[in-house]
Amino acid sequence: MITVTINGKKLLLEKPVTILDAAKRAGIHIPTLCHHEILEAFGGCRLCLVEIEKVPRLQTSCTMNVTDGMVVWTETEKVVEARKAMLEFLLINHALDCPYCDKAGECDLQDLSMKYGPAAGRFAEGKRKHPESYDDPIIVRNMERCISCTRCVRMCERVQGDSAISMVNRTSKTFVEPFSGGRYNCEYCGNCLTVCPVGAIMSRLHKHTYRPWYIEKEVNTVCSYCGVGCSLTAQVRGDSIVRVVPEMEKGLNKGLLCNRGRFGYDYVTSPQRLKTPLIRKEGELQQATWSEAFAFIAQKLKEIKEKEGGSAIAGIASARCTNEDNYVFQKFLRVVLGSNNIDSVAGFAFAPAQRFFENIFGQGVTANPLHGISRSDGIFITGADPTTVNPILGLQVRGASRKRVPVVTLGHMPGLVRFATQRLVPQPLTDTAVLAALVTELIKRRPLSGEKPAFEEIIGKIPPVSLKDAEERSGIPAGEIGGCAEILSGMTNPALIIGRDSVQSSRGQENLLLLAALTYLLNGRIYLLSELPNEQGLVDMGCLPDMLPGGRPLAVESFRKRYGEFFSTEIPAAPGLSLMESIEGAKAGKIKALYIMGENVAYNVPDTAFVKEALSSLEFIVVQDIFLNETARLAHVVLPTLAWSEKEGSYTNLERRLQHVRKAVEGARSSGSMEDWRIIAEISRMLGTEMKYSDAGDILAEIAKVSPLHKGITYGDMDAGEFLWPYKGEPLRHDVSIAGIEIPEAGSLLKKPEKEALYVGIERPLFHSATQSRSSSALNSILPEPYVRLSRALAQRMSIADGDSVAVSTSAGTVELPALLDPDMPEGMVLVANNFADRGVFRVMSWRMHAATKSPVLDGMEATLRKIDRKTAEVSG
Amino acid sequence: MLNEKLVAEINRLRSKYKDARSCLLPSLYVVQREEGWITPDAMTAVGELLNVPKATVKGVATFYSMYRHKPMGRHLIQLCTNVACMLMGAESLVDLLKEKYGLTPNGTSPDGRFSLVIMECIGACGTAPAMLVDTDFHDSLNDKNILEILESYQ
Repeated sequence: MITVTINGKKLLLEKPVTILDAAKRAGIHIPTLCHHEILEAFGGCRLCLVEIEKVPRLQTSCTMNVTDGMVVWTETEKVVEARKAMLEFLLINHALDCPYCDKAGECDLQDLSMKYGPAAGRFAEGKRKHPESYDDPIIVRNMERCISCTRCVRMCERVQGDSAISMVNRTSKTFVEPFSGGRYNCEYCGNCLTVCPVGAIMSRLHKHTYRPWYIEKEVNTVCSYCGVGCSLTAQVRGDSIVRVVPEMEKGLNKGLLCNRGRFGYDYVTSPQRLKTPLIRKEGELQQATWSEAFAFIAQKLKEIKEKEGGSAIAGIASARCTNEDNYVFQKFLRVVLGSNNIDSVAGFAFAPAQRFFENIFGQGVTANPLHGISRSDGIFITGADPTTVNPILGLQVRGASRKRVPVVTLGHMPGLVRFATQRLVPQPLTDTAVLAALVTELIKRRPLSGEKPAFEEIIGKIPPVSLKDAEERSGIPAGEIGGCAEILSGMTNPALIIGRDSVQSSRGQENLLLLAALTYLLNGRIYLLSELPNEQGLVDMGCLPDMLPGGRPLAVESFRKRYGEFFSTEIPAAPGLSLMESIEGAKAGKIKALYIMGENVAYNVPDTAFVKEALSSLEFIVVQDIFLNETARLAHVVLPTLAWSEKEGSYTNLERRLQHVRKAVEGARSSGSMEDWRIIAEISRMLGTEMKYSDAGDILAEIAKVSPLHKGITYGDMDAGEFLWPYKGEPLRHDVSIAGIEIPEAGSLLKKPEKEALYVGIERPLFHSATQSRSSSALNSILPEPYVRLSRALAQRMSIADGDSVAVSTSAGTVELPALLDPDMPEGMVLVANNFADRGVFRVMSWRMHAATKSPVLDGMEATLRKIDRKTAEVSG
Repeated sequence: MLNEKLVAEINRLRSKYKDARSCLLPSLYVVQREEGWITPDAMTAVGELLNVPKATVKGVATFYSMYRHKPMGRHLIQLCTNVACMLMGAESLVDLLKEKYGLTPNGTSPDGRFSLVIMECIGACGTAPAMLVDTDFHDSLNDKNILEILESYQ
């Protein structure tokens, strides 16, 4: 035990901590400028100086640990005098432009100067001059205000891992600068904004538009961008969000945000937002009243149901909508319309992968807390780059790597190039061979635990793949693969991070089995990357053709009966159609009506041309959305709904944590838009089934009764913070026989393209996640245009330079994009993102459904590349 | 971009250090020796070669005053004008260089032959005034011998 006395207060401590921390525990505030709780101690600003008895000179409390018997005084005359002197030094160069500096009111330096600082400085020479930099679309840099505390640089380098800025030059000419000296060209996480204690680094988005004391309310909510679900605080003034800031102590992100969460919120105020219902009359979508729209939908759905039966109607739920919306949506389909045809984009990869792993390891196997990644003793990643799909999860990987935790990546991951211990970048379509070789090697190195004999039997049947064979297929030297197996075999509790590309593959089934084997052999924990905020919620709310709320299989009669009895109806036993099957069914005339809630299928589903054609052949399409997107334009009725910031509800993130989404603004509500669930409840009422919900809380209460998993769930519990898996409910105890898992043949593991070809894959840019980001002017200012990522070697061979226009053509179509050269990419791949209108990758991708995983197979799309000569293009165009 | 010879030399240097960052200073020095100054492209290339972020490279390269950030003449004269050298007539040498070659401190002669940097002490007070030309050391300078010495640098 350590006893310290701070300002006369006695404190007992078990472990030595810094004087600063100890004082904090005693409720004593010591001023700091360079110290920040997210960052390591620095000891640069000298403001945290304290007097320690028997120590002759003042000491920096942020760097010095307490020792037993230490007596510390934090506000003696000597200390105050020293602080005053330090502040006088800082103010030699700091511009005293508080009256028009945006930071005024929340500026640490201003506050400290008011408390300790001299009223006037004695330095007669002029202040340094440095023009404010507006070269960047997001960040304004004012180096006259910079006090060189280096918080931003340390944040960028040691926490974000981007290292985009540094302190350049020396002495009084020291400035914070990005490499270019102007534009940042960084990951735009904006975490430097969080830590800047003065107005040196400010956001351009709200420059000179408000004062901190003008904020009318602060709403703690959850980000609407990806499956991580970061906590954030929306600062509101006059019914609009002025700024989004993180909260240091709260949430799984602990004060960190990514560019989408911090800057991308402005899509909700886009002028493109839908304002009134639209009904197609004489071929054109025309403004209509809500009652007109409701009556029309009810009448059409009734007609189709009576004529063709419920199974002719399909619904597409949304990973951007809340659990409450999605729950009501599947209830509408199953109970009101009598159809199990309900699915979403979560059915492409997230749900099938989760189901595969849960069948083997049990429900909840992917529900692992995020911080477990940086606490694990090894990380294996494949299928997508976590730093762009789920940036805050990616930071966990970078943080682990900084602690020298081995990180093995399989596949090209630009955001982890500097952080991976070992990078395996195989030739296109050969990752399965590498995985199989890793599993083969690990079987030799790691004994089986005997915990799951049935699965061990399956592992035993996986045909062995030699390192040599893997090398021949993948082009990665056998030694490197063997080295990775060696690294992996040393791990005792690794994190396995799995992205979509491993599943949406012709070898999806093989990949999943090999990854399950890897998980078992390594005693690993699975993290499934999730691009959208509520993919897990879709699964748990029963928005799958064969699943009921609570992850209960429809096939089990007792579950079906219990659910049916709850609503005094009978649930059809046959599983419904998946999203892909529904679209095919629409084309074939089997599906007559499609009800789409918040999903842009004519854009977010591969082979856009085919999807549009299928949708056009439908008798009736209803779309609920916040934008008149590609899908809405094909609909017969379009209904405007509320965006994430305008409604209450909950999201379930990829670690299966339930989090409360709160209403921050009225927004579109004032122009008549409604929650998705409210619209559905209204239509349901007109179809004869009353849904009595007055607010989202009523729905949550019903979910708590219907879903055995969510028993007793309340918003209060979510707000308390830790509504983590397992909840208070009953997890699924239904046993699935895994004997039926298909054992791949050696041939299918070692498959390799017969001829050398160029393949097109999916790029997942950090600055845009999906279609909603393209309505954010902030994100568009960072990345205004899509691009095609290709290897530098391939580009050199085709004499393509950075930014040159390139046409990517496949059998499905052509897109023209500027080139982005990447030195670390394999040559046989080009990557195109799906974020910009008319130029998304799904225009050039056709698909077939994988028989076993029911995932669309999206790899193996052959492409050709052509450099577009601007001159000829102009002549012909 | 760096030429092959430089890449090979930096890779050789890299093997002497455990950590890539430790190799940054010598690598930049090698680049400056060959190109006369550190170009932004060279910082990018060194960063890529050593797997060190280019902003970090810039921070390091701008911190140390002996890295040059603008084009230099073919030969770099580093002349001391500190107390001992000043007393022994270094200032008149500065005037002479201006008169003879059009050289001003921190400037380059119009023909691109010499650049002049005024140094603090280079540790030759006993034989002042002194200067460095590229990596060669010359002391006991006077109006006459300085021109003779510089004639051998073309």
